[in-house]
Amino acid sequence: MAFYKEHYEVVIIGGGLAGMACALQLQLKGVKDILILEKHNLPGGLATSYVRDGIEIEATLHEMMSIGSKKDRLKVGAFFDEAGVSIDWLKVPEAYRFIQTTDGIDITLHAGFGRMSMEIDAQYPGWGKKVLEFMDLCNTVYDSMNTLSVTPMSKVQMLLQHPEFVKTAGYTAQEVMATFGFPKEVEEILTPYWIYVGNPMSTLPFTIYAFLMADYFRGGSYVCRGFSHEMSMKMQARVEENGAQFELRQEVDKILVRDGRVYGVRTKRGDEIHADYVVSGAYPNKVYTQMIEPLSEVPEGAVKHVNGRRLSVCPVSVMMVLEGTPEQLGIKDYNIFSGNTMDTDEIWKDLHTTGPYRFLTSICLNLANPGCTPEGYTQFSITTLPLVDGFLDLKESEYFDFKRRLADQMISEYEQTTGVHLREHIVEIEVETPVTVSHYVGAWKGSIYGYSHSIDDHAVARLQMKEEDHFIEGLEFAGAHAISGNGMGPAVTNGRAAAKAILEDLERRDKAAQKEAKGGADR
Amino acid sequence: MKVKGFLKDIGGASRVTKMRREMIQAASPVPDPKDPIRELADALHPGRQTFVVTQVRDASPTSRTYRFEPASNDDGTKSHIPAFQAGQYATFFLQIGDSLVSRAYTISSAPYEAQGETPFFEITIRRNVSYFVPDWFFENVHTGCRVDAALPHGTFYYEPLRDARKIVALAGGSGITPFVSMAREIAHGTLPVDLTILYGSVKADDIVCGETLAAAEEACAALHAEDPSYEGRLKVVHVMSDDPSWKGERGFITRELIEKYSEGDTTYMFCGPLAMYRAVSASMDAMGVTLRRFRHDVMAQPSNVKQIPGFPEEQIGQVYRLTVVRGIQEDVIEARADEPVAVAIERAGILIDTRCRGGECGFCRSQLLSGRIFVSPLGDGRRQMDKEMGWFHACSAYPVSDLKVKIPIL
Repeated sequence: MAFYKEHYEVVIIGGGLAGMACALQLQLKGVKDILILEKHNLPGGLATSYVRDGIEIEATLHEMMSIGSKKDRLKVGAFFDEAGVSIDWLKVPEAYRFIQTTDGIDITLHAGFGRMSMEIDAQYPGWGKKVLEFMDLCNTVYDSMNTLSVTPMSKVQMLLQHPEFVKTAGYTAQEVMATFGFPKEVEEILTPYWIYVGNPMSTLPFTIYAFLMADYFRGGSYVCRGFSHEMSMKMQARVEENGAQFELRQEVDKILVRDGRVYGVRTKRGDEIHADYVVSGAYPNKVYTQMIEPLSEVPEGAVKHVNGRRLSVCPVSVMMVLEGTPEQLGIKDYNIFSGNTMDTDEIWKDLHTTGPYRFLTSICLNLANPGCTPEGYTQFSITTLPLVDGFLDLKESEYFDFKRRLADQMISEYEQTTGVHLREHIVEIEVETPVTVSHYVGAWKGSIYGYSHSIDDHAVARLQMKEEDHFIEGLEFAGAHAISGNGMGPAVTNGRAAAKAILEDLERRDKAAQKEAKGGADR
Repeated sequence: MKVKGFLKDIGGASRVTKMRREMIQAASPVPDPKDPIRELADALHPGRQTFVVTQVRDASPTSRTYRFEPASNDDGTKSHIPAFQAGQYATFFLQIGDSLVSRAYTISSAPYEAQGETPFFEITIRRNVSYFVPDWFFENVHTGCRVDAALPHGTFYYEPLRDARKIVALAGGSGITPFVSMAREIAHGTLPVDLTILYGSVKADDIVCGETLAAAEEACAALHAEDPSYEGRLKVVHVMSDDPSWKGERGFITRELIEKYSEGDTTYMFCGPLAMYRAVSASMDAMGVTLRRFRHDVMAQPSNVKQIPGFPEEQIGQVYRLTVVRGIQEDVIEARADEPVAVAIERAGILIDTRCRGGECGFCRSQLLSGRIFVSPLGDGRRQMDKEMGWFHACSAYPVSDLKVKIPIL
């Protein structure tokens, strides 16, 4: 009985957003012989949902970036359009409400540089203009990033055409922001999104921060009507319509390498499948220490590469269905960032532990997607993104109590900050931890954000070092661990980048083959 | 740093690249393959494993309790009973004749018993009338047998972040098993709830796990003698629907009876047959108990499809052609219209992973490539987009035409 062909042009490990974006990009360029192997019984990896007592619950997506409106499509939105993936996007009403209790800051910002700067000016008169300048700088860097990621150019050209990008590239978000001389409160108001790249402002490259700020505040953000599962399902459907084979419940155990080049994979089930290219959604840490067969094919540089880099954050998320409408419960905001400090270095210390956590993100999905629950219920989540360090010694026997303690603390913290009561309305409650992530998607140590976006692992440096970070021929990586880093938007970009690397290699090999054929004819 | 200084700096990209290169070059060359998070995830969710039957005992004249302990595998490893919560279930994978069958049974032993020096878990199966899988268990599973199972599954357990500390369990027939597990855990002092079980049986002979429940009550009474907080921790009220000689409560578990044993903020937990669920559910509505305070266990789809609301009865007896796609492999088998798609696949000896058998858990999530199905509205756990895009749960969907479906390769 054969479930697979003996050989595929490309085998993609992991049917997450990155893996599927990779397939779509390859298909756009005419590569059709693709097999996707997904560990779980759902596509999309973390972009998924689950059902409790008939109510569907969003598992992860807070807000999808890089989509843009139909008129002003941003990068990822435009790619979906090009690939024929039609998703019912719903716009998120506000960027965020920010509550910092120690200094009594409470402000709500909306998308649109003009609008958000006015909103800040209304509370901190005179600073709106400066905020607008700051956002313009972010936006310029953002545009440069988008251009440079697809258009190679010389350093001189870069300097002439993208001077702001070049000049800010070596600095942290904190350093660049400091040059604007904002009062502490305004700085703090511009900080909360830091957590979506999982790195404190003092070591976060301004380039990454600027990308985030410009993208969210320019285009706003979106969620899918049918939960993030809609995005995953529609990508899968398109990938399959284009002729790829997509298999669920297939965990890949080994990546087969000979003489420095991949030639296939072996699944946990025991199927050996050959391929010219393998795209790994599995983290390089796992690939270079467990999956490559034989391990002697792993060069020392690859081991140093994973040992030298630091894993970014993982999730703790309390997901609830509440009895009552948001209005009845007194919930007015889609997204609140809250805490008693916005000193990200201080918060970072908390995030190295298992709590209590002070900086929280809460989402009320109904306020962007009113149909997400039956009438009379509310879907609500509280999330924090700690480092895995505090979870490494967790015991099986403590796990259920541990999850409940985390949830209990986060619910209390939220209730105290906002005055909104959740506890007496809970119908369903699930707590997601790094262990949950590891179980469902197999990500290394339950990480969701790849490697730290810190100044010493700068995306610009990653791009510059692309060649020297490539250790095994025919093996590409697509996931949060790839160059563009974490988030669902960047996941799509990472997948496309892996496809481009394959297409370039194909072209090189084609040319070499032609040359050889020509040489043969000459002889 | 001054604005001016930073605007003149054009070496940033080179500088951060140098920094990154140095960081990587200074790193250890020793591979570190250890991932403790995955180890924990695997311990909590070990998937399908082999266990050995170490004890079979009667739990009533028509029911038996089977005890399972970890078994040694051929590769020298031993299976592992993961931590679970009272009320969760195990799914068994059985080869019965040519069929590969899976069935879910609630774990009737207590979580602490899986953590002791001789860890075990138990299930209790009733055979008051002849049924395919209970018959097979009664006739074929004996001490020393090796059986495959996966655990734990399900969300039917006490959740302190949501539930009232006072719980009234509403059980019928073999639906007592999750509460037997809870009672044993309470008697061990490790489940801090006050549990009153209203247990409906036809007559005294039908009571499942009666002795175990009585023993747990006695243990709680003994704990109460030492610790006053154990007052009312566990109370079992048997209710006989057709046993004139019964001295206790008689009749059905009605609203009046439920109210008689309820006091203050209470979470109601139901496990029992479909007809009883409908009656209890109506009582809950009448009492104004909302979803938050009324939990029910997964119910397997009724084998009599006429009990399924909206089932197209004219289909009963029809047989259709079912093409099962796994990868590039296609198999054509027969499928009865009055049996779930998963059953047809199991009868053909094709592996399909089902766990809850009630439409909820989604393990048997499959893709409808062509044809029409009827999906049972009982416990329909499909996602919205799955409904819109033709994905279904094979344990709870019935063919209404020839079908082509894709299932995972196992």
